[in-house]
Amino acid sequence: MLSYDVIIVGAGGAGMMAALNASEDKSLKVACLSKIFPTRSHTGAAQGGINAAMGYRDENDSPESHFRDTVKGSDFLADQDAVEFFTSNMPKVISELDYFGVPFSRDENGNIAQRPFGGASSPRTCYSADKTGHVILHALYEQCLKNGVKFHNDWHLLSISVNEGKFEGIVTMDIRSGEIHSIQAKSVVIATGGFGRVYWSRTTNAINMTGDGTAACFEAGIPLKDPEFVQFHPTGLASTGVLLSEACRGEGGYLINKDGERFMARYAPGKMELGPRDLVSRAIETEIKEGRGFGEGMGSYVLMDLRHLGEKKIMERLPQVRELAMEFEGVDLIKEPVPIRPSCHYTMGGIHVSDYRTCSTPIEGIHAAGECCSVSIHGANRLGGNSVADVVLFGKYAGIGARESAKKRGFSSIEKLMAEATEWTEKFKTIREKTNGINMFKIRDELAETMWNHVGIFRTEAEMEVAYEKVSRLIEDYEFATIGDSSERYNMAFLNYVEIGNILKLAKAIALGALNRKESRGSHARADYPERDDNNFLKHTLIYKDGDQYRLEYSPVKITKYQPEERKY
Amino acid sequence: MYSTLYIKIRRFDGKKEWYQGYHLPYEKGRTVLWALTTIREQMDPTLVFTSACRHAICGSCAVTINGNAFLACKTSLDEVLETFQTPHLTFEPLKNFEVIKDLAIEWEPKMEKMEKVKPWLLPAEDGSKELGFKQSEEDYHQIAAPTDCILCGVCTSECNQLAVNDGTYLDPFILNRAYRFAVDSRDGSPEQHIQPVFENELWKCLHCMQCVSKCPKGIPLTEQIAYLRQESIRMGEVNNQGARHAFAFHDDVRSKGRLNEMTLPIKTDGLVNTAMRKVPFALRMIKKGKINPFHMPKAVEGIKGVREIYQYAKEVGE
Repeated sequence: MLSYDVIIVGAGGAGMMAALNASEDKSLKVACLSKIFPTRSHTGAAQGGINAAMGYRDENDSPESHFRDTVKGSDFLADQDAVEFFTSNMPKVISELDYFGVPFSRDENGNIAQRPFGGASSPRTCYSADKTGHVILHALYEQCLKNGVKFHNDWHLLSISVNEGKFEGIVTMDIRSGEIHSIQAKSVVIATGGFGRVYWSRTTNAINMTGDGTAACFEAGIPLKDPEFVQFHPTGLASTGVLLSEACRGEGGYLINKDGERFMARYAPGKMELGPRDLVSRAIETEIKEGRGFGEGMGSYVLMDLRHLGEKKIMERLPQVRELAMEFEGVDLIKEPVPIRPSCHYTMGGIHVSDYRTCSTPIEGIHAAGECCSVSIHGANRLGGNSVADVVLFGKYAGIGARESAKKRGFSSIEKLMAEATEWTEKFKTIREKTNGINMFKIRDELAETMWNHVGIFRTEAEMEVAYEKVSRLIEDYEFATIGDSSERYNMAFLNYVEIGNILKLAKAIALGALNRKESRGSHARADYPERDDNNFLKHTLIYKDGDQYRLEYSPVKITKYQPEERKY
Repeated sequence: MYSTLYIKIRRFDGKKEWYQGYHLPYEKGRTVLWALTTIREQMDPTLVFTSACRHAICGSCAVTINGNAFLACKTSLDEVLETFQTPHLTFEPLKNFEVIKDLAIEWEPKMEKMEKVKPWLLPAEDGSKELGFKQSEEDYHQIAAPTDCILCGVCTSECNQLAVNDGTYLDPFILNRAYRFAVDSRDGSPEQHIQPVFENELWKCLHCMQCVSKCPKGIPLTEQIAYLRQESIRMGEVNNQGARHAFAFHDDVRSKGRLNEMTLPIKTDGLVNTAMRKVPFALRMIKKGKINPFHMPKAVEGIKGVREIYQYAKEVGE
């Protein structure tokens, strides 16, 4: 059996940052496993930048302002001690990334360039053109190569073994050989990314963002914190969900329904298309729900028309956007309107991290960092530029935390670990041999449709109850799913099967959290409770899984400095 | 337009290899990745390919179609149909890679190879982990394009040198990585990135331009190779076939405005090697009338202008 002192699951920004920091102690045996090749990770998709109060562009900016903006952006649901730790340590991490070779754009003084971003009181978003996440991901990978970090690429996490409260190790599949491996470890960092694929085709997320680590922790007894908070972007491409920049609306694009109306006149007559993200998203979905969209079901959309801007302006101001629309939707914005619809962008909730300094969870030895977990620094709504920042900073502290955990605690028994591995081996065999049953992609698509229509951009009691029941039924259907591939080596269909199992579990938690949060806060917008309710809901949702039963608890929000006030921009 | 696409995919299960055909209804504005996904989800769940981001930043989904490499997510089927003028498309894994299964290829051996050029920043002394670096906007622009590389492998698949090489020659994306650090003002040891490039057959690039014309990110790979060659000469690596060949070109054109094909191999390979290896070949060429051993080219008419160009290039270079 394989055995490591520290094992890291996921090789995006958080995972590789954790791997680098954990392996600084050369006496420890550390490895990083990833279901894909490391540079394919979703950190690479982050475009705009990474927030840190360097004060290069605005010398009055400070970690304190970044702290305040983040708390306000979170609609006061973020834990303020964690946010303060985050914003005060960010400038140091940026310098470290610079020293790692990240090619940051520069200002005229040779400092790292900074740009303004939504919700920020100063221009503090450091960037590298429009590929910030990509260059950070590659620089971290280079550092891992330099430091000889051991990778297991194409290894898929199946479960985390916890026996009577003690972490034993993880069960994984070597995708290429089809072998199930149990790995004994003293500590683990889960860094597997978000789970936007709950909404399948309506997300900006990569196809593999299925929350594998989050679901495995949930199954192992660690609660999910605030899963109901999901961020949506109003202008995703209709057929793929790929994001079209906010600049389209900024430059004066029109949103048009089936009847040719600029429907924003009904929702924001003053600002029209320039209304805030959530309002525009809700307006588009209302048009579709009331039958004024194009297409049907999950393929419904409205149009964004930029033709009146003229070729010159489009080519000057929106060349990238035009290229995206052309390549991914086959539409030339100069000649035709482009089909768009909101798209799920980010999951604020996730694995309950109980100590932000070490990123540890309630189970000793299990740490988590990045979008898979909730520290919580984003609360009910994440600010742009805070996600890559979250990933590198907490990736670092999770790596250090796991390193210290491994030094403190020895290996646990492997009793349950072995049993779990055997169970997975049998499951793999059974599912491969099964020829009759329900098509798993059908289950996945029904889940997405249910979640999109009823636990999506705006939510009501009655609809969410329907969704909760439906998701519970789909979980039952899943027991009868077939995958249609009997091969042992590189069985992609089996991996999809595991992934679909994960998003089903997480979807049910999103619905349960959302159903019980009877208020509107940040990204969670309820038509039946349109106001924020601090008296009853200034608290974190915690959802536990006991066998097949979901149990709901709440925990207080840590408020150190900023008392909740109305969130106005 | 066509109503059906006839897609043939090269399958490989680790032991045997075969081609499998699929009939896919044509839809306007769809991508190659859509075709692969539709086949897998609606016709054949055993098909293996890799993909992730769907918008040309993760580099997972490159494949070859009718022998040419494309990034599947950013390539529209309409473009492919227009290019090949047929609805019969053959999808195969990228060339010059080991295949794991179907269209999935192995990257680890490539990364081992990449490590030769020390593909990480060797920090210069004026920076620190605590304070980072200062870097001018101009110096940033030197590394802006090369850091666009997404490791998709299209350049490797298209590289005609790799197709015949014994594996020593470095893949274009590896040359790009070496270049990227060699020109980074924050790097204190550019020669440590360039020396291994030189030692691994840098001069064997065939100038076919396939890498640069197919790169989905438009990275100027061949200009980078030219830069790496110049730097290797500047570092003193002049006594090798490639550098001597370049000098022979340089000197011939300066003195006569054209090449002397008789002396070129002697200047490149030396008299002994030329006599041993090239003489029988030269004799066959003479026999067929391809070269005339007694022809000593005179300077071209505009030789004055040629020399002015050399002078100008020298000044600009300084």
